[in-house]
Amino acid sequence: MASLTPQVTTPAGSAPARGGRPRRPRVWRGVVLVIAAVYFLVPLIASFVFTVKAPNQGFSLDAYGKIFSAEGFGGSLLLSLGLGIATIVLVLLLTLPAAVAVRLGAPRLRPVLEVVCTLPLVVPPITFVAGISTVLRWGPDYLASTPFYQTIIAVQNPDFPVVLVLAYVVLALPFAYRSLDAGLGAIDVRTLSEAARNLGASWPHVLLRVIIPNMRSAMASASFLTLALVLGEFTIARLLSFETFPNWIYRISGSQAQVSVAVSVFSLLITWLLLLALSSAGARQRSGV
Amino acid sequence: MNGARVEFRGLRRRFGSTVALDGLDLTVEPGELLALLGPSGCGKTTALRCLAGFEHPDEGEILVDGADITRVPANRRDAGMVFQSYSLFPNLNARDNVSFGMRVRKVPAAKRHARAQELLELVGLPSVGDRYPHQLSGGQQQRVALARALALEPRVLLLDEPLSALDAKVRVTLREEIRRLQLSLGITTIFVTHDQEEALSMADRVAVLRDGRLEQVADPATLYDRPATPFVAEFVGAMNHLPGLVSGDRVTVLGQTLPVEGRAPATAEADVLVRPEAVLVTPDSEGDGIVMVSSFRGSTARLRVRLGDGTEVLADVPGHDSARFAPGTAVRVGLVERPVLVSARSEPGAAAAVPEPDVV
Amino acid sequence: MRDSRTGSKSRWAAAPLLAFVVIVFGVPMLVLLGGTFTKEGTFSTANLTESLQGAYLTALLGSVKISALVAVLGAVLGTFLAQAVVTSRFRALREAVLTASGVLANFGGVPLAFAWIATLGNSGVVTTTLGLGDYGWSLYNFWGLTLVYLYFSIPLQVLTVVPALDGLRPQWREAAQNNGASTWQFWRYVGIPVLTPALLGGAVLLFGGAFSAYATAQAMVGSTVPLVTLKIADALTGNVLIGHENVALALSLDMIVVAGLVMAVYLPLQRRSARWLR
Repeated sequence: MASLTPQVTTPAGSAPARGGRPRRPRVWRGVVLVIAAVYFLVPLIASFVFTVKAPNQGFSLDAYGKIFSAEGFGGSLLLSLGLGIATIVLVLLLTLPAAVAVRLGAPRLRPVLEVVCTLPLVVPPITFVAGISTVLRWGPDYLASTPFYQTIIAVQNPDFPVVLVLAYVVLALPFAYRSLDAGLGAIDVRTLSEAARNLGASWPHVLLRVIIPNMRSAMASASFLTLALVLGEFTIARLLSFETFPNWIYRISGSQAQVSVAVSVFSLLITWLLLLALSSAGARQRSGV
Repeated sequence: MNGARVEFRGLRRRFGSTVALDGLDLTVEPGELLALLGPSGCGKTTALRCLAGFEHPDEGEILVDGADITRVPANRRDAGMVFQSYSLFPNLNARDNVSFGMRVRKVPAAKRHARAQELLELVGLPSVGDRYPHQLSGGQQQRVALARALALEPRVLLLDEPLSALDAKVRVTLREEIRRLQLSLGITTIFVTHDQEEALSMADRVAVLRDGRLEQVADPATLYDRPATPFVAEFVGAMNHLPGLVSGDRVTVLGQTLPVEGRAPATAEADVLVRPEAVLVTPDSEGDGIVMVSSFRGSTARLRVRLGDGTEVLADVPGHDSARFAPGTAVRVGLVERPVLVSARSEPGAAAAVPEPDVV
Repeated sequence: MRDSRTGSKSRWAAAPLLAFVVIVFGVPMLVLLGGTFTKEGTFSTANLTESLQGAYLTALLGSVKISALVAVLGAVLGTFLAQAVVTSRFRALREAVLTASGVLANFGGVPLAFAWIATLGNSGVVTTTLGLGDYGWSLYNFWGLTLVYLYFSIPLQVLTVVPALDGLRPQWREAAQNNGASTWQFWRYVGIPVLTPALLGGAVLLFGGAFSAYATAQAMVGSTVPLVTLKIADALTGNVLIGHENVALALSLDMIVVAGLVMAVYLPLQRRSARWLR
């Protein structure tokens, strides 16, 4: 192979001045970032402008004030928060022992749990709710003479639809399990629990006094993700006809466009705050405080 | 394949407020293996990367066989490079890694595979062609990287601490092999390292860098026996600084009077530089010194001896003798009768014992 | 051995979770399957046949089409954005983009639709300011929906691909240059192949997100863009025709099959593209 060096000479004029650092990459990077900034910021800014633009006065925050007085706001928000808390409790109760078990004694269960926690991601929620609504519709016909009948009626109580909690737990499982599993991986749960067992602690004691205190940030992150999911969930609640917060936004949009956009901006802010809390909790965990 | 002459002329490069290269002038002769040696941050890697085209000097130029290549893009330079570690393309097997440069140059597949096989045999890995990098050991990866660097028959080979991520044993075998290959190919080679033993054992000449400047360039024996500056003396091998009194061309140290090597300093009080292996110790209950620490290294043992006046001296004794020099043993200390280097006393009265920096 | 001693006991700790999933997830899925193949009380494939005809088929294909488009566009654009951020020297920019991506990737559903309606809808701020209406602009069609879906898809792709981009070692680019490769050749032979597993994974996630999206479409386009999720919802709520509940189940089964098919294409591709990892 011929040597290439001597033949190649750069024209003097095109040599970059000092340092000879290539300029081109910075240009495309700038273009990409500017386009992205426009695409992602304009809707946010425009939404805000939309909500404060009053027909005659020019600027008004009325739309935000109206959120709180609008009919159904308090009830639906409280319902969504209540559902969120119930879902968090249930999902933690179910996944924490399972995640600890997989780490400690039954690694062969891991693939099973992986599949179980991937299914809700592969199966679209709307197909899930199609199944649920069919069960709820058919159930009473077949189970009329059994105690299950009462159960089926009870889970659909519009004041607190337990059926939504059950469905949301399934949707939240993948996120909760992954974040708990990651948290357990970070604290070396085996050594910790063996040390505690060695000192004579019982298993429930190990779980409550040793593992959970060390898992606070992983549990917090699982809880935040679950809460964000429940507060934003629309499909299942709408198809089962329960008025959760997102459904309320949808219902009032027909009559009060500004208010519904204001609520959208508002709910985005809530998500922001939740995720900021989440990432700062993560940062605290990393810094070991 | 024959080697090219490489010249660095007044190379300067700064990164923000740190000066990596501060006017480096250095010529590498055709076919020689030159080691660039120095502590981290001395600019040795920057110099190499300027030659490879990954860095661009703020000032100065680089000549290969007299042609200025300072502004030639990195992908058109005639220099093969081996990186510190993990530089093999993870998605290509060993054969495709080696033939990468030929693929870029549109060499037909059959031809480049045959050539890659040749190169893999050259580096002693005839049967790993189908393996992916993560299936190779660290030493094997570096051999493949060497084969890849040689694939385009460059006239300069650049090695950027290629052994530093390897086990001690692999390191020694591989450096012998690199040297053997380099001699048989006659390729000009620049080898960056912070390991003085590596530099001394492999290189034709060693260039010691400090703060972006050249301290000394010489063959290993000269560098070791006659360091041009105290920095080189400290950095290459271990060195005792013993207080001495100069008179004329002789110096009195530890009660012995020895001839001075090179120029004697103007002042009478001076530091006498003595290698640990030039210090003679014998067990003697009447002796002035006491062994403080003894670290066994196999063929030798290095002793730290404290003398009556508080001076500490490093001394090497044969390994099989180390039992006689357990800590606490009283010893007599002398020096081998031969000319010694003397430098002006840097810190008057300071204890002369050298902390062990890079001793192996 | 520890496993034999505590293994059987600790396995029971996972039992409530598994039982819960079997009942709450498994039973509806079984009922879904059963209902699909039941018509007027007897076994029948009529529902399935109907779900693959006419407007239902159009909707299913429409969903696949928009999801595939969003997956490809989102994966490509998201990767460019991620690369711009990763190679930037400003640490703050990187942190800001990653945090914003975390938020925006979760910004779906009804609020997203309203934000876009307020921006580019018929009386949206940008529409009225620039007078886009005069040029026949409408957000409520296939392309408008694509634009909106990308709003959460691109950030999701950024989150997926940033770790992979961080894993591209600078030595690889330098080694490629050293072997005479141009920037394009580096990406062609090394960069893109190394990123492919992550890109494929991201594209599948994006496809799934767009395919199962319902809230945004419902709030934004109603039924002007035929989508399978909208059809299922209509049939379930008896919005269009009474007695089509079982067609909704059949459509749901179609969706699950499509999702399964995507996985069936994805997994071997993934394995092939990542063969150098094993």
